[in-house]
Amino acid sequence: MFARVRRTVLLGLLMLSGMLLGVMPVVAEYNRTPESDINPEIFVIDEPAVLGTKIDRSVALVDENGKDFLLGDMLGQPLIIVLSYYTCDGSCSVINSDLANLLKDVDLLRMGEDFKVLTLSFDKEDTIETLVEFRNHLEFDGLTNDNWVFANFKNEEDIKTLTERFGYSYFWSPMDRIFFHPGTFLVFTPKGRLARVLYSLNASSDDVELAVLEAREGKFDFKPKDLINYAISLCYSYNYKEGQYTYNIPMFVAIGALTVGISLFSGSALVFRRRRQKEEAV
Amino acid sequence: MKRMSSVVAGITSLVAPLAANAQDGVIQDPAEGWDNLWYEMLVDITVIGVVFMIAAIYMLIRYRTKDPDAVGRGPKLTKAQAIAWVLIPASIFMADDFFLSAKGWSLWNIQRGVPDNALEIKVTGYQWYWEFEYENGVILEELIVPIGQPVVLRMTGEDVIHSFGLPEYRIKEDVMPGRVTYLWFYPKEAKETVVTCTEFCGVAHSEMYTRVAAIDPMEYEALMAKEVAEM
Amino acid sequence: MTTASLTTQSEGFNLKEWIFTTDHKRIGVMYLIGSMAAFVVAGLMAILIRLEQSSLGAQIISDGTDYNVMLYFHGAAMILAFLIPGLTGFAANYFLPLMIGAKDVAFPRINALSLWLFWFAIVLALLTFVIPDKPDIMWTGYPPYSITTQGNTAFYVFTVHLLGFSSILGAVNFLVTVIFMRAPGMGWNQLNIFVWTTVAAFIIQLVFIPVLAAAVTLLLFDKYLGTHFFDPTAGGDVLLYQNLFWFYSHPAVYVIFLPAVGILFEIIATMSKNAVFNYKAAVYGGICGIVLITGEVWVHHLYVAGMPDWLRIGQMVTTLLISVPVGLLVLSLWGTLYRGAITYNVAMYYAVACLYLILVGGLTGIPLAMTSMTLHLSETSFVHAHFHFIMGMLATFTVFAGVYYWFPKMTGRLADNMIAKISLALNFIGVNVTFWPLFIIGVEGMPRRYWNYEMFPQFEPYHHVATIGAFITAVGITLMILNWIYCAFKGEIADDNPWKSKSMEWTHAPNVPGPGNFPEDVVVDSSWTPYNYDKR
Repeated sequence: MFARVRRTVLLGLLMLSGMLLGVMPVVAEYNRTPESDINPEIFVIDEPAVLGTKIDRSVALVDENGKDFLLGDMLGQPLIIVLSYYTCDGSCSVINSDLANLLKDVDLLRMGEDFKVLTLSFDKEDTIETLVEFRNHLEFDGLTNDNWVFANFKNEEDIKTLTERFGYSYFWSPMDRIFFHPGTFLVFTPKGRLARVLYSLNASSDDVELAVLEAREGKFDFKPKDLINYAISLCYSYNYKEGQYTYNIPMFVAIGALTVGISLFSGSALVFRRRRQKEEAV
Repeated sequence: MKRMSSVVAGITSLVAPLAANAQDGVIQDPAEGWDNLWYEMLVDITVIGVVFMIAAIYMLIRYRTKDPDAVGRGPKLTKAQAIAWVLIPASIFMADDFFLSAKGWSLWNIQRGVPDNALEIKVTGYQWYWEFEYENGVILEELIVPIGQPVVLRMTGEDVIHSFGLPEYRIKEDVMPGRVTYLWFYPKEAKETVVTCTEFCGVAHSEMYTRVAAIDPMEYEALMAKEVAEM
Repeated sequence: MTTASLTTQSEGFNLKEWIFTTDHKRIGVMYLIGSMAAFVVAGLMAILIRLEQSSLGAQIISDGTDYNVMLYFHGAAMILAFLIPGLTGFAANYFLPLMIGAKDVAFPRINALSLWLFWFAIVLALLTFVIPDKPDIMWTGYPPYSITTQGNTAFYVFTVHLLGFSSILGAVNFLVTVIFMRAPGMGWNQLNIFVWTTVAAFIIQLVFIPVLAAAVTLLLFDKYLGTHFFDPTAGGDVLLYQNLFWFYSHPAVYVIFLPAVGILFEIIATMSKNAVFNYKAAVYGGICGIVLITGEVWVHHLYVAGMPDWLRIGQMVTTLLISVPVGLLVLSLWGTLYRGAITYNVAMYYAVACLYLILVGGLTGIPLAMTSMTLHLSETSFVHAHFHFIMGMLATFTVFAGVYYWFPKMTGRLADNMIAKISLALNFIGVNVTFWPLFIIGVEGMPRRYWNYEMFPQFEPYHHVATIGAFITAVGITLMILNWIYCAFKGEIADDNPWKSKSMEWTHAPNVPGPGNFPEDVVVDSSWTPYNYDKR
């Protein structure tokens, strides 16, 4: 189970250790068993178990300007949360820039308008300085501060409660001097319930788009755009094993089936008319 | 489609003020709302039914005949009359439909609008039992809730589709693998009732029920403390 | 096929001629026999179900599966093998060509093929009782249960395939027949209401059945070939099957309801010697309105299934709007009585009973159209009682009424006697005694498909009463069927037009029409209508 996700996590960890050891290229490491004896299974979030869990709106955060705000302020539309830590120079930037690249290909939804993104550090040592440095280091194209928020927790004790609630496990490895953690995008509904867990380097931009569409649950304005989005989301369904959205084949079969009876009727009507014309001609 | 959307938009604006639950701090009880609407529904459909039934009985008696050669003298409608006989009844039916839609929608907003202070309990449906996981980690096979606080159930299934039916609280919602559904109810007084599975789920479908007890908050705290201690 | 079908029908009974017939009237009679066979067996299941529920605890079953198999058979057979073939197979086959002045249907051999497929499906359905691992998935067959169960889902799927294919062929055949084979001079506004309702039913069948066939086929693949079309853990959509199923199966209600109302119109217009009130409103507003709206209301079967909120509300509005076309049909029905010259016989008594049933069944549907009401009422015996009033009573009674009404046409004899009236009274009392208690306990929360209701011991008296009602009905039905068989051979000889109807099957064709239906070619002028009683 979770073969694909596990491979992704493995890949993430390998890239991490690869970069730390200065072993390049990373790709060469792809199929080797990692040196450390960490079981990558623990970095897989048990998605069915935590779906629908409500995030605590009252958690206080601090943004890059040192301004306090509540997590609840980010809600009201779908929210993607990326848990990272800012002194990380391995997987965290990979995960964040991966999401940025994926979002570039999301055409139907606009960041800020249709959803928001929040990168949040789970490292209590992170400060505004490390945050700004991390953010600048990423140098995203055209990503303004309003749309993609980077923040730290204001109160240390909130970190543990929040991550535990969503089954997000991470730990500090003193030997490697890094955090081991899953590379996930947590997608929340406008009301702050966990709607989908996607994995970095496994999810495609379509997956992100569909997850956000799914997270909008119930929000529907009967605008053409919403109808198109809904129609698109009908064509896919989520595959827990692969952590990706796959084509919803029965939907296509059913739409195809709609034409069967009608074409059968048209054909028969033509046959009958021709036969009768023949009879009349005789 | 366009017409429907404008109709829907129209109704939205109609019921929008009613939409938000607990706006002024008063929690509206969906079960009470259901009972009230049910009562109005009964009046509505009984009136329609009785009017039509009386009309039918009157005509069936009034126009009976023994003469097999007699013919009916039903009115021959002019074009205007025929159209009027479509438009007037259709608008009456539609008016009733939209009236009921608006009523139903405002109750729906209460039924689906979970109050912020609701106690959240995770429900998992198995063939053929229910499992309730409380926020403190306690897992029970019956649902015990304190009175005076709304309860929201976050539900999922492990195997097949079930449905969490709470007849006493006038609410139910399906429970299925791969998706999370929710319902909420408001236990206002201490009472013992039952949750039944209301979606066919196999051989023991009708045995998939358990106790639902709304108890005094003090008792509830004591029970939870005991359960936590035993964990 | 064989030459037997092409030769003229001989006087005596010849089994081979019946089996290989391509004559629409014989096919109609064979549909009636097949669907009544399904009705009797499925009715027996209903009696057993009621017997089991009559008191708390297991009465006649050894475990829940026995009960579930009975429910499966009762539901699947009543809807797919009795009501749909009874109305669109028997009634449409026998009387639609007669009503439009056609010599037969457009494709008589395909018509025979439809019948054969139907008979195979009946045999397959009856095999349910002898195979191990009997299907226990209800007539709905929702996955994942239908995929994980021990029961034989394939039986269900193949039965649906056969009946679906049979219906599609029938639909094609009859639509072509009505479009191209009407008597010269017969315009669309001169058709019987029954013809219109049948056309509407066949349009619905043609469009929607393939969707159901596709859905159950994918179910078969999931269960036996290991695909994951509906398996939520592997990318399948757990709700999609329900959507596809009801996308057909709600319209299927109108496949039953429309011809049923069509028969009611024929009987009421004939017996009150009156023109159909506001014909065009009934046809273009009522019948066409239902066809247009029927594809947008299926979500009311999924109000508690976890569909998006906006869809549940949107379809609440469309579902409530069904009341407009249905209301127009009801007004026309009622209006047809107005200033009529009503003569009573057993067919008319059935029709009168149906006026009551249509009110109770229709009006109890209104709360169920409302999403917020259904959050409590869904899957309770209130729903069960509601759709039994429409399907189990209204539609079933119209089949019976139709048989009485057209009995002289089919057999040359009358079946209108004291026994017919006694059996009607028993049927009517029985169904009311059965289903009113179920309305009451449904509102209190009695779930459907429960053999064991030990959590609600307070409902036991109601179940007692309901079971008594079922037995009353059983006596009534038995009397009725015996009376039909007796009267078919020994009944009083009837005139060619005993009800003095103006409809073409009575005015132009002799009783028990032979091959070709009409002694001479039928031509009508523009003043002709099937309801032209009052020539002022």
